[in-house]
Amino acid sequence: MSAVLRPVQASGGGPQGGGSPGGGSRPTSPTVRSTWNASRMIVLLGALLVLAAVVGVLINPGRGPERPLDPADTSLAGSKALADLLRDRGVTVDRVDSVQAATEKAATGNRLLLITDMTYFDEHTLSRIPGDRLIIGNAFGLETLAPGVRMHPGPPARSRSREPECQLPAARLSGSAYMGGTAFDGPPGATGCYPSPYGGHTLITYPNAGGVTTIVGDGSFMTNLRLAEDGNAALALNLIGTGRPVTWLVRPDNPPPALDLPGERGKSMYELMPDNILWTVYMAIIAVALTAFWRGRRLGPVVAERLPVIVRAAETVEGRGRLYRARRARQRAAESLRAGTIDRLTPRLGLASGAGAQEVVAALAARTGQDAPQVGAALYGPPPADDAGLVALAGYLDFIERQVSEL
Amino acid sequence: MALTGRAGLVAALGIVVVLFAPQPGAALAGVCLVLAAAVIVDLVFAGAVRPLRFHRSGDTLVRLGQPATVELIVENPGGRRVRGMLRDAWPPSANATPRVARLDVPPGERRKIVVTLDPTRRGDRSSVAVTVRSLGPLGLAARQGSHRSPWTVRVLPPFLSRKHLPSRLARLRELEGQHPALVRGQGTEFDSLREYVIGDDVRSIDWRATARRHDVVVRTWRPERDRRVLIVLDTGRTSAGRVGDAPIPMAGATPGGGGLLVRTEPRPTPGWPRLDWSMDAALLLAALAARAGDQVDFLAYDRAVRAWVSGASRSELLSSMVNAMAPIEAELIEADSQGMVAAILSRAKRRCLVVLLTDLNAAALDEGLMPVLPQLSSRHLVLVAGVSDPRVAAMAARRGSAEEVYDAAAAEHAQLERRRITARLRRHGVEVVDAPPEDIAPALADAYLALKAAGRL
Repeated sequence: MSAVLRPVQASGGGPQGGGSPGGGSRPTSPTVRSTWNASRMIVLLGALLVLAAVVGVLINPGRGPERPLDPADTSLAGSKALADLLRDRGVTVDRVDSVQAATEKAATGNRLLLITDMTYFDEHTLSRIPGDRLIIGNAFGLETLAPGVRMHPGPPARSRSREPECQLPAARLSGSAYMGGTAFDGPPGATGCYPSPYGGHTLITYPNAGGVTTIVGDGSFMTNLRLAEDGNAALALNLIGTGRPVTWLVRPDNPPPALDLPGERGKSMYELMPDNILWTVYMAIIAVALTAFWRGRRLGPVVAERLPVIVRAAETVEGRGRLYRARRARQRAAESLRAGTIDRLTPRLGLASGAGAQEVVAALAARTGQDAPQVGAALYGPPPADDAGLVALAGYLDFIERQVSEL
Repeated sequence: MALTGRAGLVAALGIVVVLFAPQPGAALAGVCLVLAAAVIVDLVFAGAVRPLRFHRSGDTLVRLGQPATVELIVENPGGRRVRGMLRDAWPPSANATPRVARLDVPPGERRKIVVTLDPTRRGDRSSVAVTVRSLGPLGLAARQGSHRSPWTVRVLPPFLSRKHLPSRLARLRELEGQHPALVRGQGTEFDSLREYVIGDDVRSIDWRATARRHDVVVRTWRPERDRRVLIVLDTGRTSAGRVGDAPIPMAGATPGGGGLLVRTEPRPTPGWPRLDWSMDAALLLAALAARAGDQVDFLAYDRAVRAWVSGASRSELLSSMVNAMAPIEAELIEADSQGMVAAILSRAKRRCLVVLLTDLNAAALDEGLMPVLPQLSSRHLVLVAGVSDPRVAAMAARRGSAEEVYDAAAAEHAQLERRRITARLRRHGVEVVDAPPEDIAPALADAYLALKAAGRL
């Protein structure tokens, strides 16, 4: 037969590949020039982008991190606006970032000490400075700086516009202001303003340490962001701008490192490691990169192929079976089994395909010797009551069929 | 370009050097510089890949299940030796071996690489690219490039049922009678007159001829010849369903699927699509009909004509049919029976036997073929052949548990529908062949022989 099957090259639908005399192969990999031609616009745009970014950074150096309530900070959290306002009114504002500097300033006369942050300062040294104090927020060492004032137990109040509700002139004249934060309870004789809804006041003022000590729960009203709102500026000026020079104590510009570093003589792990380790790690990275390039470079393209679907033809039947099973459709299942059996048996019994139930049962009973009512119940009876009944019915139908075919 | 494992190894040795060097920074810079210099030297002195030339020869046609060899000749017109690896990239189902071949071509010479394909699927398989990696003298880096060297191997249907052909041809010869038949019947046509010999049927005496001559003359008859057979292959969605056991494992048909989420439960192998079984049957029928002297045409249709072979001579018929069948895949669309019937009617002007290879799916036939069948059966003799699913038959016989009985009921339901549609088709005067995949080809051939014997063509 192979002679008959010998393919004919001349027929129309034949493959095209065979006919290329002389092997018309051509290279498909891009040359250096074609790669450059294809990608030079992208490279140029990328270079331009990098250049623009570098120039931008050089022209407009970064502002650095925000320094909350710093009189030299122009960010939204800073307080340069308030400091400038004060200077316009002839108030001297001295920004200090150490207790020592604050003490030196205090020696020059009666001043207001404005404390915005206590994280790095020793409260005992600071509390020796006499005169007026304005403490912002729940600072460390509050019990030393402002003895008698206690934090009010309960949640901090949300910062929002609040009425003063007190007789303190500074607050009363300013009216509502953006207050909130920690609430305090003052000692007897103290004046509390801007009460918190949970009890206590967010502004407490009372005589202390040869002056007046004022504690504010939240310093937001002094920031560049909030100063122009409400009576915030008025309140700040009333509290600070009383004519005396101000010592404005802020977080140190160069915070000292934590004192209790682990390791020998305060040295970190990296300082103790020999130089070689670091360079070895770099070398290892290079080696891994080279190995990755070796393994990652494919020898030729990935070949995709359109494969035919794999659908088993029996899947619809299996799906129907599962549906029967899930719904426990015994009636339908029994109907199908019975119909199949009757369909196969009628020609064997010599009956026409449209034979009635009576005829089939009678013929079957006569042929197999089974009890006619039993055969009738199996073929035309009610559907089985449970799964066991269904299995039994299937078995009985099989039995009848075998009987008929064997006889 | 490409690097080799050796470059990675040198860099790994560099790690040790840097670890123990008195000046690690300088050592790192040194190692990197040496490595970079060596890589550049390798790239410069490696044989050029771009000027290489490729020539091919070998098989362009192969029957599914048989290996094909394609020779690739690499010509190196450059001035340096090209040493390294070569990959001739073929689609996965072509099963090309070796995947990667060693290559060593001295300047000005050529070398032959033999690629063996063992296709797992019908259709055209084309080489995608030839990629060469040419190593430098130090073996640290290589130049790499791809070439296109087109070659297509057409994988033809295997025609496994040809084993049934000799026995059917014997039956055909019996039918034709090397000695002419004396009995006039349906399905015979007048052959010749010859003298009466004792034993001949007296009913076949031609009295008119006897009167003209002085001898008693009888007529002889032979089976009809030069009838037309049109084999129509339905390539719609129902032909995609896989049945039986694949005699040749097809691509993607590995049991257990694959992929990352490997299913542990063993899945039954999906077998062959109905389409392939139908093609097998069509080829046997075509071979038989061509030997019987009938004119065979072939049409593949779903919503458009996929293949059309007409007027092929007896010797060319099978090769043009397998060529036409090779690229046909089952389309996942509903077949357009109306269009199919129109295509058949426009192509078959004279009465012929239309053999429609489709699935006897009650729902699909009810919607599609049944309404337009009278148009076809009024002018032609129609034979519908469907491949039944042995898995459904096996399911119908299972009685182990309640689950299996439910499955058996579903299978019984499917078989019942199939029998009903078969009965309805027969009532329309259509011949029906419904057989499991392994038997469909001989069953169809037998049905054809029966029709021929009965003279119904």
